[in-house]
Amino acid sequence: MDLPKQIELLFRENTPLASKLADEIAKLAPKVTEKTGLDKIKIMNFCGSHEWTTTHYGLRALMPKEVELIPGPGCPVCVTPSSDIENVIKLAMDGYRVYTFGDVFKLPTVNHYKKDQIGSLAAAKAEGADVRIVYSFADAIEDAKRDNKPSVFFGVGFETTIPSYAVLFAKEKVPKNLLFYSATKLTAPAAEYAVKIHKASKRTPVSGVIGPGHVSTIIGAISWDFFPKEYKIPAVVTGFEPIDVLTGVLTILKDLYTGDITYTNLEYKRVVKPEGNVYAQEEIREVFNVVDAIWRGIGIIPKSGMDFNEKFSNYNARLQLGLEEKPWDYDLPPGCKCNEVTLGTAYPNECPLFMKACTPARPWGPCMVSMEGACAVWARFGSSQRVLEALKEVK
Amino acid sequence: MCWAVPAKVIGVDSDVIATVDLGGNTLKKVAVGVDNLNKGDYVMVHAGVIIAKLSKEEVIENIKFIADQIRETAELEGENPDEAVKSFMESVSGILKDLESEK
Ligand code: SF4
Repeated sequence: MDLPKQIELLFRENTPLASKLADEIAKLAPKVTEKTGLDKIKIMNFCGSHEWTTTHYGLRALMPKEVELIPGPGCPVCVTPSSDIENVIKLAMDGYRVYTFGDVFKLPTVNHYKKDQIGSLAAAKAEGADVRIVYSFADAIEDAKRDNKPSVFFGVGFETTIPSYAVLFAKEKVPKNLLFYSATKLTAPAAEYAVKIHKASKRTPVSGVIGPGHVSTIIGAISWDFFPKEYKIPAVVTGFEPIDVLTGVLTILKDLYTGDITYTNLEYKRVVKPEGNVYAQEEIREVFNVVDAIWRGIGIIPKSGMDFNEKFSNYNARLQLGLEEKPWDYDLPPGCKCNEVTLGTAYPNECPLFMKACTPARPWGPCMVSMEGACAVWARFGSSQRVLEALKEVK
Repeated sequence: MCWAVPAKVIGVDSDVIATVDLGGNTLKKVAVGVDNLNKGDYVMVHAGVIIAKLSKEEVIENIKFIADQIRETAELEGENPDEAVKSFMESVSGILKDLESEK
């Protein structure tokens, strides 16, 4: 049996272990609330894939009443500012070939191009612009080399995606006709921001965090140590199978109960190292600088994005094409609560537009676009969660 | 966006590009984002870049971590920790044997 299949059997299709973990969680949770005085143990994740697993496998329905699992800022597509998309649409309409990933293609803007109906890259393509969806930056490079047309790659992504750009720039594999528009973001500053918002707003504070497994392959599990050390919040970096997430919840409860909250636990040992991927970190440092970044619907989060350093500024589309940095204002379509969904202060179904004016087929707000946007995940799999919850009530 | 899939390295084409099998003989050229990559390695691929390697030893480490959490929780709850881990180990024993035999 090959390794991926063994992993599936161990971490996905392992019902006896899942029920064992759920039992332990159910037994420990009331003891934790009693000891800590918390009404609820709120556990936040920072990765759209964790939200996918939690919702798809109905893990919320397996939680005792004391434990609440909430999504945080975990989808780079959802937080790409409208002004960035508007800039790239303008380039496409001006004759540049634009490359990007499939889930960025449908992202809606607030202001439409020339007051016309072009409110996404998909709409620009329908109007005849040369917009191409690629699987990877490497594929865009191959395509751009073929006919030397002036092109721009719309680079969205967290630390997981940034290496795919950095290694190819660092190794000088990018042709001169392919500029790059960086809309990349860093997870940890946004995670800290979301946790602070909960604390400041007198909501139930976040009492545990599930660190993003694949982001952590790059930045390392120790990057999350600030949660246990500075905030006394247990952190555990987990994988994306249901057993991983359940183990993460149990680990957080155990840490809260013992009060031994000193470092980040690493559950996803099969993939993540405490120090991360040092090779990728060096390649990223070679090409990019950390900069302040705008998060859609939220505003500027200091030191939460990456853009080219001076050595690679020839590739910087913003700089080379004189694109204005628009001041951040409110950049969500009317009525959309994506800012609250992203910060974990509202569940997707608390938005009045959810599955009415806003559906995966016709997304109104950005969180409904990507497969990992919280609204899109809830739209697709929320029903399995409701069925499990109904069963729980019958029991 | 942060979805990553396991794959097997079929060939290392250059210092930047490798060919991987994403399963079912679906071959793809991807960027190399790790050092010391070899043919036959299992890796995680995300948006066309290899972000990490996977190994059997680390899968076993992963299982040990889960066992430790269950053992420690049982202790806190005043249960017999060995009993608690026993049922866990039973649920993973078949695969564990398979993993260890191929090491
Ligand atoms: S349901 Fe649609 S409009 Fe409402 S928050 Fe989600 S993405 Fe925005």
